[in-house]
Amino acid sequence: MAKKHKIFVQPLSNNHMTKTKTAPKWLAILLSAFLPGLGQAFQRRIRTGLYIFLAFATSLAVVFWDRGYTGAESSSWMIIPALIWLWNIFNVAFFPKASSALIPVFLWLILAYGVGAKVTEFNLPALFQNVGRSQTMIREILHPDFVQPLTEKRTGFSEIESPCSSALKAPNHSTGDVTVTILQPCANNGDIITIEGSGFWPNESVTVAWHIPIGPQAMSTTVMSDAQGNVKLDWQVLPIVYSNAPDPSIPQIHRVVLTQEHPSGGIELSSVGGYVLQGISETLGLAFLSTIVGALFAIPFGFLAARNLMTGSPIGTLFYFIIRTILNITRSIEALIMAIIFVIIVGLGPFPGMIALTIHTTAALGKLYSEVIEGIDAGPIEAIRATGANWLQVVRFAVIPQIVPSFTALTIYRWDINVRSSTIIGFVGGGGIGFFLWQWIILQDFRAVGSSFFAIAVVVIIMDFLSAQIRERLV
Amino acid sequence: MLKVEHLTKVYPGGTVALKDLSFEVEDGEFLVVIGLSGSGKSTLLRCINRLIDPTEGKITMDGADITAAKGAELRHIRRQIGMIFQHFNLVKRSSVMTNVLNGRLGYLNPWLSTMGIFPAEEKKRAQQALARLGIEDKVHSRADELSGGQQQRVGIARTLMQEPKLILADEPVASLDPVLAHSILQYLEQLNKDDKVTVICSLHYLDLIQRYATRVIGLKDGVKVFEGLPSEINRVKFKEIYGEEAQDIRATALE
Ligand SMILES: Nc1ncnc2c1ncn2[C@@H]1O[C@H](COP(=O)(O)OP(=O)(O)OP(=O)(O)O)[C@@H](O)[C@H]1O
Ligand SMILES: [Mg+2]
Repeated sequence: MAKKHKIFVQPLSNNHMTKTKTAPKWLAILLSAFLPGLGQAFQRRIRTGLYIFLAFATSLAVVFWDRGYTGAESSSWMIIPALIWLWNIFNVAFFPKASSALIPVFLWLILAYGVGAKVTEFNLPALFQNVGRSQTMIREILHPDFVQPLTEKRTGFSEIESPCSSALKAPNHSTGDVTVTILQPCANNGDIITIEGSGFWPNESVTVAWHIPIGPQAMSTTVMSDAQGNVKLDWQVLPIVYSNAPDPSIPQIHRVVLTQEHPSGGIELSSVGGYVLQGISETLGLAFLSTIVGALFAIPFGFLAARNLMTGSPIGTLFYFIIRTILNITRSIEALIMAIIFVIIVGLGPFPGMIALTIHTTAALGKLYSEVIEGIDAGPIEAIRATGANWLQVVRFAVIPQIVPSFTALTIYRWDINVRSSTIIGFVGGGGIGFFLWQWIILQDFRAVGSSFFAIAVVVIIMDFLSAQIRERLV
Repeated sequence: MLKVEHLTKVYPGGTVALKDLSFEVEDGEFLVVIGLSGSGKSTLLRCINRLIDPTEGKITMDGADITAAKGAELRHIRRQIGMIFQHFNLVKRSSVMTNVLNGRLGYLNPWLSTMGIFPAEEKKRAQQALARLGIEDKVHSRADELSGGQQQRVGIARTLMQEPKLILADEPVASLDPVLAHSILQYLEQLNKDDKVTVICSLHYLDLIQRYATRVIGLKDGVKVFEGLPSEINRVKFKEIYGEEAQDIRATALE
């Protein structure tokens, strides 16, 4: 293409107008039919030609790649390069002066969308069809389980033999504030027993549960206490109470337990809330420690990667490039990936997360510090050298005052980032709130998931605010 | 007191900033260096206190060889030479007090001073220096909160802390307005007259040169093209130093 262009342009440059007129159209059409874009180039529309050629070539490549990818014999997307080819000839024949390549680009975009959608299993309707599935989940997430009302409990029981035996014993019952009695000393399958209790909080519900000798509770119901705090109910013995017994005809001692829970005012942390707090503090600690340690390591790297300090001598320049490269490579590896590697090496928990974050922090801060050092004003340095100060004093009085505020601001900013990262790192076993969150997602405990979300949001917002405040004051 | 012999400076890029420059400065002089931008004025002043190492030549101050000095000896020489800069070169985030105390670093115990411990008498000295320049009320301000004129006065106070024999001033008033320029140069003149401090100063404005200089050196492309009294600078000399093109503007300024 370039060759053709050269041959033709050289003579044209003297007398453009006349030659354009004589340039044969049929040759341009032929050239474009042979290679899309070539005819346009021949008509001195190099850019349009190039666009057409690129659109044609890449769309063809995409179609072939798509075929290879899906293993299909032929692809209907072949229509796109074909259309581009047709349009290209049409363009040469009827618009020899137009400079637009909008249509091939548009066709190309259609192709990109079509193939891309197939490869990514793009399915827009699914987004709307299955909204219902998420509703319960979202409702639970919006109702986080973080605290619960503080409750007191009153409970009492009475024993009962079932089925009835020939030699009845007097049944035991609990002693204390609450008394529970069953009017019948024993009951058979299907009998109705009468339970009486007293000493409960008035006008509140009481849970009545039938506990079998071994195994779980077999039946339960609730009843309201009356104004005096007494309860009374008739209850039928169902076959389920014998379900765990090896032989249902052998008499055994069962227990009927009455329990009342009463909010005592005030709230307490639920067990999920406790885990959330533990996770959050772990995450904050992890972020804090890795920021501090990473920042300490980053200081020497920052100096070694500062162009203005290092490029004075060949050895320094070499060091500069080596350190820069190391920092750039390390920085480009996501902390998450590093965390996965360290989880494999040292096992689950906050420790691998901390190593990963520390390394990433060192690399990121090292780079930022070096930029601060590169940006310092040389004026104060020469002024202090001129007073007869030694090297240490120059660093102390001319360099440090210039870099410390920026270093501090960057470090705080990094801490802010690390709080977020350490949350994510928990997902791969790196400890902290992310670790709990991951497990709750698997267990589908969405109220706990909701609590974690809210806790994380609150922490991130507070961190963001604090770090912005402090940085504003420093810079 | 100062003797410059065959001084040449070639920068790593190959720029010859000073070419075989020789002159002497007597005690108590107010020597002004003039020349176009790029003529080598800053390079010359920085060679004198060895912020820049000369390529060739020799500079001696009261018999001590500045060009050969190293380490502690060089720092000892430097602390006797104050320097004032066009852009003041204060440590912007540090307080005025700290900036002034910085001028004393060459005399202080390096370890104690690095830890930020300054003897009380040095603080008093700093206070006196600021008082002398009329800005004692700014002791606790941050340097970058001050106006340009105030910052340059802090720069002079810092230099005063060195108890210098010689002051190098590199275009000390180029970033200040004319009124402030006079006030700053008057402080330098006072130091020169009352404290017998020798001053080498680069300046651009002819009225200032004729008002303050006791002697003038003209540089052009690193070569000394004029040496004499300020009153000797006439139209012709001026043309020589500043070049044909600059003639009109500068010559009018001269009249
Ligand atoms: N660090 C450096 N590296 C290379 N060349 C330099 C350096 N500093 C100055 N030069 C060059 O040396 C020459 C003299 O510069 P110098 O700064 O001494 O001039 P000046 O007279 O002070 O000019 P101005 O009035 O603009 O301050 C100029 O050509 C300049 O480009
Ligand atoms: Mg200069």
